[in-house]
Amino acid sequence: VANRLFKVLAVTMVLGLLLTGCGGTKSTDQGTSQPAQPGQSASGGTLKIGLDVDAGTLDPRLMKDTTASRAIELIYDGLVYLDANLKPQPNLAEKWSNPDPTTWIFNLRQNVKWHDGQDFTADDVVYTFKTELDPNFKAPYAANYASITNVEAVDKYTVKFTLKAAYAPMLGYMDLGIVPKHIGEKNDNSLGETPVGTGAFKFVKWDKKSKIQLDANKGYWGGAPKLDKVELDIIPDNTNRVNAIEAGDVDLVHSPISPQDIPRLQANKNLNTTLTTGLGITYLNFNTADPVLSDVKVRQAIASLIDRKTIADTIYQKMDAPGKSVLLPTSWAFSDKVTGPEYDEKKAAELLTAAGYKQDGGKWKKDGKELSLTIGTHTEDPNRLQTIEYIQNALTKAGITVKVKNAEWATFSNDVYASKHQIALMGWLNLIDPDKNMYNQFHSKGGSNWGKYNNPAVDKLLDQGRGETDQAKRTAAYQEAAKIVADDVVYHVVTYQGYVFSANKKVKGFEINPKGSFRSIQKVELTK
Amino acid sequence: MTRYILRRLAQLIPVLLGISVMVFALLHLIPGDPAAIFLGQEATPAEIARLRHILGLDEPLLMQFGKFLLRLVHGDLGVSITQNVPVGGLVLKHLPATVELAVTAMVIAIVIAIPLGVISATRKGSVLDLGSLILAQLGVSMPVFWLGMLMITTFALRLHWLPTFGRGPSFSEAFVALAKGDFAAVSSTFTHILMPAMAMGLTAAALITRMVRSTMLEVLQQDYVRTARAKGISEFKVIFRHALRNALLPVVTIVGLQFGAMLGGAVVTESIFAWPGVGRLAVEAIGQRDFPVIQGTVLSLALSFSVMNLLVDLSYAYINPKIRYD
Repeated sequence: VANRLFKVLAVTMVLGLLLTGCGGTKSTDQGTSQPAQPGQSASGGTLKIGLDVDAGTLDPRLMKDTTASRAIELIYDGLVYLDANLKPQPNLAEKWSNPDPTTWIFNLRQNVKWHDGQDFTADDVVYTFKTELDPNFKAPYAANYASITNVEAVDKYTVKFTLKAAYAPMLGYMDLGIVPKHIGEKNDNSLGETPVGTGAFKFVKWDKKSKIQLDANKGYWGGAPKLDKVELDIIPDNTNRVNAIEAGDVDLVHSPISPQDIPRLQANKNLNTTLTTGLGITYLNFNTADPVLSDVKVRQAIASLIDRKTIADTIYQKMDAPGKSVLLPTSWAFSDKVTGPEYDEKKAAELLTAAGYKQDGGKWKKDGKELSLTIGTHTEDPNRLQTIEYIQNALTKAGITVKVKNAEWATFSNDVYASKHQIALMGWLNLIDPDKNMYNQFHSKGGSNWGKYNNPAVDKLLDQGRGETDQAKRTAAYQEAAKIVADDVVYHVVTYQGYVFSANKKVKGFEINPKGSFRSIQKVELTK
Repeated sequence: MTRYILRRLAQLIPVLLGISVMVFALLHLIPGDPAAIFLGQEATPAEIARLRHILGLDEPLLMQFGKFLLRLVHGDLGVSITQNVPVGGLVLKHLPATVELAVTAMVIAIVIAIPLGVISATRKGSVLDLGSLILAQLGVSMPVFWLGMLMITTFALRLHWLPTFGRGPSFSEAFVALAKGDFAAVSSTFTHILMPAMAMGLTAAALITRMVRSTMLEVLQQDYVRTARAKGISEFKVIFRHALRNALLPVVTIVGLQFGAMLGGAVVTESIFAWPGVGRLAVEAIGQRDFPVIQGTVLSLALSFSVMNLLVDLSYAYINPKIRYD
C-alpha cells in the first residue's frame, strides 16, 4: 500500500516539475524582430533596447532621467539637436541668427505635423519655453534657460528669444523637446503619460517599470524610419541587462554597464561593442571651508597620494580613463596640460611638512593632533565604494587617519549639499558645455559650490566664459579657471567616465553619440 | 462568522493608522530632502526651497500629517513627487504584477513542498527523506539573488528556454488571449513568470517541506491514525484524508506568513528579473524620498498582509471543524 502511495506521489511530482520546469520552450515574445532570410536586408522589425531605469515622465520639460531623455528624443524634436561632436544642428528650427548678444531668432521648419495630425507652429515653441520657465511648473532644468527674459512668436514660423545678458551655452540647450500647446494647455499631465510629439516615433504604450513601446511615424518630416517599432525595456540589474543582449532578448544596451561585464560583451561574436569617452567625471569634492582642508597644501597632499591610473585601470578596468581636470577630453575647451596634482608620494610628504605637519610614530601630526579625515561616497555604485576603499588604503598607508562614511544617495547628498562633508566622491554627467560643470560648481555664487570655494579670479573668468561668444576667448577663460581649481584641489577629478555601447550585429546605421543619444535610431535598420 | 470578519476588518483601522504614523515619522526622521533629490545636483537652494513650498514640505509636521490623513480618509493617497501622477493609480498598476508573482511562487512552493514533505515523513530515514532534507536546507540557505542569477545563466543564457527578463501579458490578458486561441500570448505570460516565481517559490518550498515533514511525523504517530489503519482504510486515505488534514494547520499558518512576506519582500526578485511590481516601486521611491509613494505602497502592502492573515485565520475553521469564530 505504501508503495502505491509512493508511486502516486512520485508521478505527481514529476508532472509538477514537468509543468513548471520544462514547459517553456524558446521565449515567444510578440513583436520581436521578425527573422529575415539570411543575407537579406529586412526592412521593418522591432528594435529592443535594454535600459537601466524607468522614465519618471515623458514630458520633455519635466524629464530628468536618462531613460526619459532617450524616449523623448525619439518622440519629440527640439529646435536643434546635438550631433556626435555635440554641435547644434538644425532640427525643428531650419536656421537661426544672433543679431545681437541678447537676441536669438529661430526660423522654424514648415509643414511639420504633430502625431495627432495638428500643425506645428511658433506658438508651440513659445508655449514650451514659457512653461519651462514658469516656477510653478517645477521644471528641473529651468536653470539652463534662466537667462531668457522673453519668448515671442514673430510670425507663424519665427520665434524670438530675448536674454537678460549674453549667454554663450544657450544654443546647446535648445535641444529641449517642443511640446504641442493644444495638448499641454489642458494641464492634465497627459504629455507626461501619453506623449504627442513631432518626432520619428509615435508613443504607443508605457507599462511602468517594464517597457515603453513606440511605433514608426510614417509621416515624419525627416523621412519615415526604417524600423516598424522600438521597444525600451527596463532591466534594472546591470548584469542581467548584459545577459539579455547576450541571449538575444534585446538588441542594444549602453552605459551604465559594470566594467566586469565588458570583456564578455567584447568576446561575443554576435555583438558590436564600443568603448569611448563619455560626458561624465568622477571626482573628489573637497570642502575648502573645513578647518583641516582649508589649507590648500593639505588638499594638494591628499590629491598627490591618489593614483588615478590604478583606479581607472583596476577598479574601472579601463572603462573609465584617468582624470585630469574638469575639462572633458571630448570638449572643445580641453587641455591635457591642466591636470592638478599628479600621483607623487614624496611630494605629498613635502606638502604636509610645509603645512606644519610632522611624522610621529607613522602618523602625520600637527600640534599633537593626528591628521584625520572623513571620506565617503554613495552606496548605489559598487565601483565608487571600491574607489573609496582604495583611497582609504592609500591615505592610511601614508600616515593619515581616515574614517569612511558611505550612505545611500539621499542621505549622502543631503550632507554634501549642506557642506557637512570633508571629502566626497561623486560625479557629474552630461557635461556638454564647460559652463555646465564649472559655473555653479566654482563660482562663489554658484548653486552647487558645496566645497564653499571662493576665488574672485575664478569668478571673473567664469563670468567671462559665460558672457563671451568668441570660442577662442571662452576656451582661454575656461582653461585658466580649470587650471586654478585643479591646482587649488577644489575638485580632484579621479576618472573620465567611459561610455559603453553594445548592439547586435544585425543593428545597422546607429551613430554612437557620447551623450548616449538615440536620435540616430530613426535611420537604423535590422538586417540578418 | 460574518460578525467575526467585520470585527477583524474593523481592527484593521487602528493597525493601518499606527502604520501611517510610523511610516510618516520614519520618513521625516531619516535624512534626505525629496525636493533636493528631485531637482538634482544642479538646483540652487532657492529652487529647492520653492519646490519644498509647492510640495507643502515646509509646513509643520503635524499639519502635513493631518493633511495626509484627511486625504487618506477620502481615499486619496496623494500625488507622486517624481512621477507627477496619483499614487493610488500607481500602486494599483504595480500591485497585480506582485500578486501574480507571489501567487505563482506559492503554487510552485506548495506543489513541491507538500508531496515532498509527505514522502519524507512516510519514508523517514530513507534516501528520499535525506535528499529532500538536503534540498530543503539548500533552499533555505540560498539567497534569492544568487538563485535568480544561476537560473538566468542556465535557463536563459545557456539553454535559451526562458526570457532573461520582464513580464509577459498579465494573467487577465492571458485569459482573454486563451479565449481567443492566442497561445503565444499565454506562453509569454508563463515563460516570463516562471523563473522569478521559481526563485521565490523554492525558498518558501524549502520551509514548507520541513514544516509538513515534522507535523506529519507527529500526526502519523497518533492513536487515531493507528485506529484508521486497524480499520483497514487504505494507506492513501489514511495519509491524505486523516493525517495530512490535521497536519496542515501549522502549514497553513506558515504558507500565509510566507505569502505575506512574498508580497512585501519581492524587491530583490523584482529587481533581478526586471519584474514591474510594487516592491520596486517602493524601493525606488525610498531612494528618491518620494514620500507619498512610500506611504501609499507601505499602506497597501500592510493592508494586503492583514487581509492575508485574516484569510489564514478563516481557513483554520475550514481545516479544523473544532475551530469556530462565533
